[in-house]
Amino acid sequence: MAKPGDALLFSVVRRDVRPWLLLLNAAVATTAGLLLPTALAGAVDMALGGTFVLVTVLWLLLLAATEIIGDAIGIVLAASITARATAWLRKRLSRHLLALGHPPRFAAGDSVSRLTGDCGNAGSVVVTVMSLIIAAVSSVGSVVALALLDWRLAAVFAVSVPLAMLLVRSHMQLTADDVLAYQEVSGEISARLVDAVAGRHTIAAAGIADRESGRVLQPLPRLAAAGGGMWRTQAKMMWRAGLLLPAVELAVLVAAGFGILQGRLSTGDVLAALGYTALGMGIVGQIPQLTALERTRASATRIAEVLDTPPAPRPTPQPSDGSIELRNVSINGVLHDVSLTIPEGAFAAVVGSSGAGKSTLAAVLGGLSAVDDGDIARDGQVGYAFERPALLGTTIGRSIGYGTDADEIQVRDAAVAAQVHDALIRLPQGYETPLSDAPLSGGEAQRIGLARAIVRDPQVLVLDDATASLDTVTEAKVDKALTTALPGRTRVVVTHRPATAARADVVVWLENGRVRGTGTHAELWDDEDYRAVFTGGE
Amino acid sequence: MRFYLSTLAGHRRGVLILLGWSMLEGVPAFFSGKLVGTAVDKGFAAGNPLAGVLWLLAFAALAVVGALGQRQVFARLGDVVEPMRDALVTRIVKGVLNDPTHRRTPDASAVAMITRHVEVVRDATAGVLVQARALLVTTIAALIGLATTAAALIWLVVLPIVAALVLFGLMLPSLAKRQRDAVMADERTAEASGAVLTGLRDVAACDASDEAYEDIATQINQQASATITVAWANSLRATVIAIGGFAPIVLLVAFAPPLVASGQLTEGATLAAVVYLTNSVNPALHGLARTTSTVVMRLMVALKRLQEAAPQTRTEVGEEVPSNGEFALRDVTFGWSPDAEPVLRGLSLDLRPGDHLAVVGPSGIGKSTMASLLTGLMPPDNGRVLFGGAPVDLVAPTIRHHAIALIPQETYLFTGTVRENLTLLAPWVTDEDLTEAVKKVGATALLNRLGGLDAALGHAGEGLSAGEAQLLALARVYVTSASVVILDEATSHLDPAAEARVERAFAEREGILVVIAHRLSSALRANRVLVMDGGKPLLGTHENLLKTSPLYGQLMLAWDPTHHEETPLPKR
Repeated sequence: MAKPGDALLFSVVRRDVRPWLLLLNAAVATTAGLLLPTALAGAVDMALGGTFVLVTVLWLLLLAATEIIGDAIGIVLAASITARATAWLRKRLSRHLLALGHPPRFAAGDSVSRLTGDCGNAGSVVVTVMSLIIAAVSSVGSVVALALLDWRLAAVFAVSVPLAMLLVRSHMQLTADDVLAYQEVSGEISARLVDAVAGRHTIAAAGIADRESGRVLQPLPRLAAAGGGMWRTQAKMMWRAGLLLPAVELAVLVAAGFGILQGRLSTGDVLAALGYTALGMGIVGQIPQLTALERTRASATRIAEVLDTPPAPRPTPQPSDGSIELRNVSINGVLHDVSLTIPEGAFAAVVGSSGAGKSTLAAVLGGLSAVDDGDIARDGQVGYAFERPALLGTTIGRSIGYGTDADEIQVRDAAVAAQVHDALIRLPQGYETPLSDAPLSGGEAQRIGLARAIVRDPQVLVLDDATASLDTVTEAKVDKALTTALPGRTRVVVTHRPATAARADVVVWLENGRVRGTGTHAELWDDEDYRAVFTGGE
Repeated sequence: MRFYLSTLAGHRRGVLILLGWSMLEGVPAFFSGKLVGTAVDKGFAAGNPLAGVLWLLAFAALAVVGALGQRQVFARLGDVVEPMRDALVTRIVKGVLNDPTHRRTPDASAVAMITRHVEVVRDATAGVLVQARALLVTTIAALIGLATTAAALIWLVVLPIVAALVLFGLMLPSLAKRQRDAVMADERTAEASGAVLTGLRDVAACDASDEAYEDIATQINQQASATITVAWANSLRATVIAIGGFAPIVLLVAFAPPLVASGQLTEGATLAAVVYLTNSVNPALHGLARTTSTVVMRLMVALKRLQEAAPQTRTEVGEEVPSNGEFALRDVTFGWSPDAEPVLRGLSLDLRPGDHLAVVGPSGIGKSTMASLLTGLMPPDNGRVLFGGAPVDLVAPTIRHHAIALIPQETYLFTGTVRENLTLLAPWVTDEDLTEAVKKVGATALLNRLGGLDAALGHAGEGLSAGEAQLLALARVYVTSASVVILDEATSHLDPAAEARVERAFAEREGILVVIAHRLSSALRANRVLVMDGGKPLLGTHENLLKTSPLYGQLMLAWDPTHHEETPLPKR
């Protein structure tokens, strides 16, 4: 049954000539491998004959060398094909996820798992299919070779294959229960550890870490019991698997023995028969590869699901006279019929209790989110700063200049304006400190986020609660520096602080996704509901 | 790594038993070539099929014995691997819960990662025990077997194998390094894509999808080339082992003819030698090469990650005995790092039994620092925090933990009965006391809804609202004999009326109450207020602060502007 990801897998196979090289290489190596037992038989017969025949030994050497070199090339080629295919899929996927943009259509954790896990699985398609083909060809070739030696040998071998299949199936049934129990207990311990970690302050303050460790570890004996059960099950399985090959070997050897007796086979042919038996059984080990192929297809389908999602159309805002104007803007379930105008150069505050739609409105004002309904008119570039900025880029300096070609001086000036320069020069490598090595507090991250908005020198600055972690003194400094660094720009500030709202030219008060009121802070303050926004309702 | 090895050594007996059974497993390898050779020599080639079949049946019987040995090996594997895993898990859990810094506190996904790594260690240990052991037993058994049948040729066989193994050993360090690089590249790819994909909003806001793509693509490309580099090393390793395995066979057939001609080597012995090499030695060699390159590397990486997740545990020290139940803070300064701006600067404060202090200030300013200082979890950078005249972090742990109780914002509830959860800090209290404490904090209705003290709670207080979980945590501390109680935003999820009830209940209890306030109304109920706003801390009564501190006035105004003109009286 075709899956949506199959087309993607085909394009992975087709985009490169290497799979064909791998196939060619495999054909040569497998042929050598299939000829090897016969050559070995010939060489042993030669040795038993008591005369050294150079051609026989050279032929053996040539085949062995071909197989060994072929295997070596195969390892590199297979890794290269998988690595390139995986990288190609990952780049395509990340390109598309970035094009889908904000708000994200797929949860971040889900996207990362598609990018790291699924792309890796799908990238291995060529190698998975190839190893199945090689195993099948080897097995069929072995049976043919056995038949060429003596048809009886092939017949004896053919009986053993269904036995092997049966064994693999019963293994899966046997372990299922123990594995389930093991996973359950393991999950239980994890859940207990998560509980205890969440309560770490209580545990640390009460000095009961050891006692609580014991509580977390309580199910451990059950885990050990389930684990022991798994090993015992595997022991049963190994016992049967360990018997299977000798049983088949015994059957083939007896048949070969009678072959010698009746002069059909030479002593060396016994070795050849043993070699082909082992080679022919190789297909049994490939059964898990069928599961791997299914997993590959499922992963490809998950990637295709993302690639087939078209980016939402993002209408460019209509030009305006410098002001920002929203007319009857709605976003399903979040904003309802919002109309408002913010004059050029004005300082507008957006307030409301949590869940009122403040951040969504801020995103709409700057064009970050697409709207379902309504029109927006706006001019010029927008700079955004957030309460919890995701800092991106390789170094601290790059995280400020992210997405721009700002030079060191511009970055530094922006950091000074955002009151974070002093903190950054105290980092281990200053502005060159890798982002992952920089211990940043919430307040520092916020101010770097501010600097990132300032460095773009935008016409409109949207601050989505971007100073929430700063104390009132620092916030006032930032406020003043912003006015100096970016004079006369329109500023939209989402805030929880009455003092900030009081400084604004106009306050937009949101409630359940609608504009409940607009005006100055002083005008709105008379309303008890408005005051409740700041006091939490008491 | 050292811990891992010492744990394994601790189960020496299990390992020895395992090796004992391995001997049995090696039996077929020891006899296989000889029996097949004899079956041909004395049976089929000599025109005696019955003897040939009998010798082959002996071969089958030995295979059964070997399989039995293998079965025992796997059954015993659990005796080594499972206790080792238990020890590992125990150490990690203790390490995580005892970590004094809590700087790298694992979240749910980190716990999941720990679980995965533990499983890797378990599987890899089993894999190493199976493969390395099998190689050892099989190779030695086969070589001894070979020596007894074709002694004249033994050096032709041993030398190439030893040479291959030595070469392989020399290649291991560089192989390990490349593997590690590949694993690191893998992690960096996950990190880079994770950062961008969780920050899509910011990428869009910065109009930076090109730079974001470049950052991810760089890591993806590096990861791909690291993988290919590993493959080159693996390919070289496979070649060395393959040559080492095959060379003896070629040498054997090349040097055998004169020996056979002179009668030094029988037909059966030659056959036996080749069977030993192809059926036993070669598969074992390939198994070893596979195991070391993949399993051992995974094992090393997982062990390293686990070590980072669980630092060495620190035992609490301190023997001071406080002379009374009073706190004295003298010129206390505290910052998160030497470079960082201090959270507290020059705070002096006395707290006596009966005192009720509220700590107020903007969120994120570090009010919880007060809780850490008073409980002795962190010593101040400068100045002294004295409890009963002794530095609180040096007071004997048992005394300190009984005298000072903290209720943090995040509630600790675990799976167990309600009673177990409520008696966490005072296992000795009676049901009557518990019921009384539950009543005092206003959680009687909750207790009845849950089904009484014997009701069971799920993970993370499943089925309870955040506020209900906080009520249980409050009752848990109320019932203790602690003379100092610190509520660190412990009532943040309660409604104002419930919060007031809780604070009054604790204020009526004897001793010191410190409330790190979530709402400013908490300040009205306290008899002293500490204002933290980044600068020098302000301390005073509510009325006093209203008169002297503009900041406090501002904060109060924000809370309730109707009280701007006339000062409300603290209600207690």
